[in-house]
Amino acid sequence: MATATLAPALFTRDPGATLSPNHYTEVPYEEKLRLWEQVKADSRYSDYMYGCYECGICVAACPSARFYDFSPRKIAQAAGREDVELIYEQMNDDVWNCSQCFSCDRCPRQNSPGGLITILREVAVTNGLASSKKALEGYSRIVYKIMTTGTQVSPDMLQPDAFPDWGPDVRTVSENLDTWRRAMPPETHHTTSASWTVSKKTLTELYLIWHYSGVMDMIAQVDEGLHMIIMDVMEESLEEAGYEI
Amino acid sequence: MSLIPIEAIRRKPAPDPADAPTEDIRELLFELEDAGELIVQRVPEPYMEVMTKYGRTKKIPVEQTWHHKSCGQCGHIPGYSTSIFWLNRKLGLDYFDPTDQTSCTAWNYYASATSNAPAQAGVAVRNFAAALETGYFPMIHCATSYGHYKEVRHQLVHHADLRAKVRDIMGKLGKPLVLPEEIVHYSEWVHAMRDRFVEKQVYDFSNLTVTVHPACHYYKLIKEDAIYDPDIYGGERTATVSAMVMALGARVADYSTFFDCCGFGFRHILVERDFTRSFATQRKIEVMKEEANPDVTITHDTGCVTTLDKSQFSPEAHNRKVGIPVMSDAQFAALAMGAHPYRVCQLHWHSTDNRPLLEKMGIDWKAAWEEFSEDLARIERGEIEYLTWEDAGV
Amino acid sequence: MSSGGVGHRAPAGSERVLVIGAGPGGLEAARLAAALGSEVLVVEKQAGLGGTPIAESYAALTHGFRSAEEAMGEMMAAAVDQAGVTIQTSTEVTGVSGSAGHFLVTLSSGDPVEAGAIIIATGFQHFDPGRETQQYGYYEFADVITLVDAEKMLKAHNFVTPSTGEPPKRVAFIQCVGSRDRQIGNEYCSKVCCGISSKQAIEIRQQVPDARVFVFYIDMRMYGYWENEIYWPAQEEHKVNFIKGIVTEILAKGGRLVIRGEDTTMGRPMEIPMDVVVLAVGMEPSQGTRRMAEILGVATNKYGFIERAPESLDTVATSVPGIFVCGAASGPADLDDTISSAGAAAAKAVALVRRAEVPA
Repeated sequence: MATATLAPALFTRDPGATLSPNHYTEVPYEEKLRLWEQVKADSRYSDYMYGCYECGICVAACPSARFYDFSPRKIAQAAGREDVELIYEQMNDDVWNCSQCFSCDRCPRQNSPGGLITILREVAVTNGLASSKKALEGYSRIVYKIMTTGTQVSPDMLQPDAFPDWGPDVRTVSENLDTWRRAMPPETHHTTSASWTVSKKTLTELYLIWHYSGVMDMIAQVDEGLHMIIMDVMEESLEEAGYEI
Repeated sequence: MSLIPIEAIRRKPAPDPADAPTEDIRELLFELEDAGELIVQRVPEPYMEVMTKYGRTKKIPVEQTWHHKSCGQCGHIPGYSTSIFWLNRKLGLDYFDPTDQTSCTAWNYYASATSNAPAQAGVAVRNFAAALETGYFPMIHCATSYGHYKEVRHQLVHHADLRAKVRDIMGKLGKPLVLPEEIVHYSEWVHAMRDRFVEKQVYDFSNLTVTVHPACHYYKLIKEDAIYDPDIYGGERTATVSAMVMALGARVADYSTFFDCCGFGFRHILVERDFTRSFATQRKIEVMKEEANPDVTITHDTGCVTTLDKSQFSPEAHNRKVGIPVMSDAQFAALAMGAHPYRVCQLHWHSTDNRPLLEKMGIDWKAAWEEFSEDLARIERGEIEYLTWEDAGV
Repeated sequence: MSSGGVGHRAPAGSERVLVIGAGPGGLEAARLAAALGSEVLVVEKQAGLGGTPIAESYAALTHGFRSAEEAMGEMMAAAVDQAGVTIQTSTEVTGVSGSAGHFLVTLSSGDPVEAGAIIIATGFQHFDPGRETQQYGYYEFADVITLVDAEKMLKAHNFVTPSTGEPPKRVAFIQCVGSRDRQIGNEYCSKVCCGISSKQAIEIRQQVPDARVFVFYIDMRMYGYWENEIYWPAQEEHKVNFIKGIVTEILAKGGRLVIRGEDTTMGRPMEIPMDVVVLAVGMEPSQGTRRMAEILGVATNKYGFIERAPESLDTVATSVPGIFVCGAASGPADLDDTISSAGAAAAKAVALVRRAEVPA
């Protein structure tokens, strides 16, 4: 799988460049069924799934379908048929190919295969599926960034080894970062470790939201180390602000 | 390929809102407000009215806007957000740039799924509550945030259990459950205000050919809430961005992958970059280059600007037919009105070479870069701490 | 009062049957009602007769590929020549009062008329493709046309690419435009478009032998004899290509249209150049149907068609006793449906005005 540290081949159309479909754990049928029941129990499921008459509009509009062996129609069909075995396969592999662009929302039945995939991914993450951890390798710095600054990226993430294929400008930016960040009028932009200055109180509120909505538990499933680091930062901040959780 | 709708052959009748096939979510919002379930922040006056897909009108505030910023914009293409602020200031409009604002966290949601519906809704309404506290009306900078917030609005209105959960979380923060009367994207404001930009335009754009890339999350999510106009594309495609570019006098050239995604992919641009790079190159840039050969491509989303701008370097090294400068509608409009290409539009953060474009616009980028280099030197010497709006002329 | 038979004449009832609309349904209902002995007044808002097949210049009917003009000409003559039928064109119904057996109807032409029964035969209109949620560009590209535009060209034996005037090399039909779609709100199937598209595909192959013709569909709905009379010949004799997978976008590339869809058999996105794309637009209630429903106070369903209670086996009753409906005014209907229901409506209307019990 291509990560930021490799030099990925240009224009590969190699399904092996995504998650290898044979490398996920087989589990008993009851477990697969349990995961599927979780998907259906999500309140968004009824917004995303009606019936499917296989018109193919979703595939026609889908960018991932052009690059990967991926079909939003098959996602909708598997869900409609409640084909638990196939859904489990998809949850471990196909769902990570989706670009979440929602071009598939053109569906005349008003299905949202992209939306179904959002739920499938969340169930995979919540249940600690190894394939989801693998799919999210290299992504933890984003989670760390949002949780510690309130913004998902920051100027200091523009480093040449992080984005080698973006060209030499990245190096130029990284070398001049501090000066360049001062050379812009908006006051909130005068920071390099966050996209804009976020107040402490705001960050505290974000922590509380993530805590009470159960997202911290999801992070624990994806990356225990990351979870520990974030919890430390969070707890300190909340204590300072006078919250006890 | 002409953009003019085929009036001589047929003309699309303006859609009648009475025939709209979807609910009007704003009516449902007001019903919930009457039932005491949430607070709806009203669009302040003065506002402009635009038409959406099924003929309904949408209110766009002129000023008193609370700027809901975008991570990728402020972080990596700061000329985008700076230009949005500059446009407001150039027109003498009152706005607010908050620190009491978090990211919408939609990128995290769509990329990693390490989030869930209550968290996403919680983040959204926390930001909306923060706006209400200031009395300024939220204006969303990123199209992904915008599309996602439209989705969140739909979920909150239709799922009482989600509403209850989120109200509970907000309660722990000491905040009410707030949704704005309209979810407004800044490019909708740009669209509504375009005639005022034209009044202040100082450069002639009539020799420019532009391709427009409309953001998926702007018009594909909650489709009825996006701007359409029977005079633009015969009302068949969203008018946002295209109408503004045309108003500034540039020619909008069509290309055969107009509706294609840019290939951002959310997680792909970080961890499966050959997909993003290949898709952006093969499905968008090369097609635009071959069919329209534009001077610039204009879009209105953080992810789209990033993807299209950053994906051209490697292909160029492999002799692919790329090389189109990329910028946002805000930067384009700002340049038209005389904004400094570096102090305001911050074009030095862009990867594609926009100097030939600036020359074609009649902008002396060399002189501008010299001025800006002097700014940088003064900062390095410690003479000034930051550039100010005064330095930017507004 | 006897039940079911022709019998007593009630005082002050009108024997007249009023038929609203002079398309195929109205013409047949009028002819039959008069043939059964009643006095019939037909009111038609257009200047001419024949309804949609004539107003929109249909070329051949799906019935044996018979010329629409010829077939409709016969229907019009049969109605006009039938003793007891009076036709007022350029006239509309503007109001109604009374009840079954004793309606008083006001017309735009002046004096009100009495009628014992009313038959609504105001038909349908074609879906406006500008309202489609897929990106078909009907109002952007001259070469994207509808079934109606195609009929006109076929009737004139001049099927060309509109932007060039040349015969096309590649023609595509897109099925289900404006039908079977929850986003548009027309969830129903419009019943006739698969038959009409296949018929037109055959006509194009006959008139432009060098053209390759494709039909992109979700399902091919070739009911009854359409399967063997139209679908199989289209594929086998006329080499029309039927591809399962509907098109989502039409754009322009290199001076031609390009369509984008999924070839579901192959499971891959496909992108193909076309010269002409024909949108198989579905049926919606006509303006006349909507207005008559309102004026006459009959119930409509959520699509605006005149409601026929789904559990009822009465195919022509409306929510108002004495007011009947036939043809596409109550939902998608082909010509067979229309002519049959016109007959049923005529028979029931006549039975009513003769003061027999309103038959169930």
